[in-house]
Amino acid sequence: MVRILLRFSEELVDKPITAQVILEHGIPISIVAAHIDSQGGEILAEVPSTHVEKVAGAFREKGVIVTFPKLIEVDSERCFDCGACLSLCPVNAISFKEDFSVVFDQEKCIGGPCGTCVDACPAGAIRLVEQGTV
Amino acid sequence: MQATCHEIGLRVLNSFWNKIFKKILKCSFNDKLQNVQEVSAIKKKGNPTKKRTIAEVNEKIRKGDVQVLTAEEMKKLVESSGIEVAYKEVDVVTSGTLGAMCSSGAIINLGHSDPPIKIHRAWINDVEVCHPGAAVDLYIGATIMSETKPFEYGGGHVIEDLIRGKEIEVRATAYGTDCYPRTKLKTTLTKNDLNQFYLLNFRNCYQRYACATNSRDETIYTYMGKLLPRFRNATFSGSGALNPLMNDPDYETIGIGTRIFLGGAQGYVIGEGTQHDPRNRFGTLMVRGDCKKMDPEFIRGASFAKYGTTLYVGIGIPIPILNEGLAKKTAILDEEILTDIVDYGIPRRGRPKLGKVSYKDLKSGTITINERKVRVSPLSSLKKARIIAETLKSWIENSLFYLSSPAESLPTDTTCSPMKQTEEIAFINSVVHPAVTCTEDDEIKTVAERIISRSINHVVVADDEGRLRGIVTSWDITKAVAEGKKKLSEIIVRKVVTTTPDESLEAASRKMAQHQISALPVIDHNKRVLGIITSEDISKLLGR
Repeated sequence: MVRILLRFSEELVDKPITAQVILEHGIPISIVAAHIDSQGGEILAEVPSTHVEKVAGAFREKGVIVTFPKLIEVDSERCFDCGACLSLCPVNAISFKEDFSVVFDQEKCIGGPCGTCVDACPAGAIRLVEQGTV
Repeated sequence: MQATCHEIGLRVLNSFWNKIFKKILKCSFNDKLQNVQEVSAIKKKGNPTKKRTIAEVNEKIRKGDVQVLTAEEMKKLVESSGIEVAYKEVDVVTSGTLGAMCSSGAIINLGHSDPPIKIHRAWINDVEVCHPGAAVDLYIGATIMSETKPFEYGGGHVIEDLIRGKEIEVRATAYGTDCYPRTKLKTTLTKNDLNQFYLLNFRNCYQRYACATNSRDETIYTYMGKLLPRFRNATFSGSGALNPLMNDPDYETIGIGTRIFLGGAQGYVIGEGTQHDPRNRFGTLMVRGDCKKMDPEFIRGASFAKYGTTLYVGIGIPIPILNEGLAKKTAILDEEILTDIVDYGIPRRGRPKLGKVSYKDLKSGTITINERKVRVSPLSSLKKARIIAETLKSWIENSLFYLSSPAESLPTDTTCSPMKQTEEIAFINSVVHPAVTCTEDDEIKTVAERIISRSINHVVVADDEGRLRGIVTSWDITKAVAEGKKKLSEIIVRKVVTTTPDESLEAASRKMAQHQISALPVIDHNKRVLGIITSEDISKLLGR
């Protein structure tokens, strides 16, 4: 599975675009997180890696901005591997290696809609990445 | 029949000589026995009854043939070969920990300005520093927060920045004296401009610590980190079996003057730490070290959200294996070190204990609370603790670090007493009174009548089992009438700010002010309504 971030402008919000893409292409899309209101918004979705290009193309055709997001950034200079963040992550994206180094799984992280770990880092080493347009 | 004086005297004399005779016999027998044992032992494996001394260990360090193991390696050796072999083979065991140690700080001396100043108040990078002594000595407390970036930057960060060689901005004011006429000062400095820059920490290196969790319905932010609602996570601190004081729990080798690894340099134990509680296995240390030689890898400013700033300090202590007992003690395992799971959701000194857990469980990442699996995070760095033990080991092996005999032992029998309080603090349970309640099915009119007849402003909405569902105020009723709403369910406020019997009145009134409300339903941990307190109750109490 590959993560894609779909950004909907204000004009697109009331159209059933995601449903249309699923129906037209018969590709399962799983929604990981969503934040949408009448002003527009974002959906973080997972699509099968074999169909990424097709799905991205289909959304772009309908005016949706598609990016492949890096949701979280960890400053390895600041991080001193305490692990305070581990028990907070709702999707188990943070774990220890054998030597107790902290590792972040960018594939699992849901980023902006969560951010639970960010203010729990004593080192101030975790930052949510602003999702700009690509 | 009474014995004559002569007879008694004779009996006493006899028994006296008997005792002496027996003692002489026993002594020579014991000596012989010991000699026999020693000889046979020497034949078997050298000379085990001879204890190792620190001087001998240092001589080995000088020659470069000292045997050093980290505490983790020692445990493996004892497991595979037994205590006797471990004692015979190993001279020193190194330990390590790196955690948040709030009772830390650094003393600096700025040198004198011209004209000279006797500093009254001073700030470094907007962090107020204490001025406890003469003219230009300052103490940077780790927990003092920046006035411009509170909860983000504090004394701990100032210490780290200085160690990193960064420039800091010093501001100071003074009242001016005949000998120190200057009243204002502003300058930028680095550590090289300071006469002295010493870490002086009055409580470090906790032997072990409680495991923290939270029973409340809301996330809380504590010195034990961020604790999610309803026991959804837990945190712990300390490196367990690798922890320095766990490897010498009876303070046989750690005392005043013990040379240690401190923040990447060599430092010293200067006494027991404040709140030192060795009997309950909550020992602490007071330490000192030269910051100018420290390495920022092992000493870091840090910040706990909504709690404040602190300093992460790396400490490693070498334990000389002077006797077989120490070989056994340094073999302690994570599963043998237990600690309490404590509910930080209850803001009282005696926080409820929910059970016991071992450091083995804690390091596994999951523990059980109330029969449920809960994920647990360390707050101290287990990775750095290992690196510290390894670094100290290599220093000793490479003759860069020698052991020191303590000048004085640390107390082993003190405990930590609670504060004597002369002013009593009121808690919610002393002012709570029954709440006027209704159910969601009640009519607005019924609730309005209840408000009038009981002359109150708040009606708590509860379900059949007495659990909190919402709150309705006289203002909500007025609004409902104005807007023509008929059903109570349309006007119930569902998101209710609540309190518990254990909360202090001060905390509760702060909550009311924050949320601009005038009452708090009092609930238990099952959300059952126990009563209500209002701002009027609090004003009455304060006016008493």
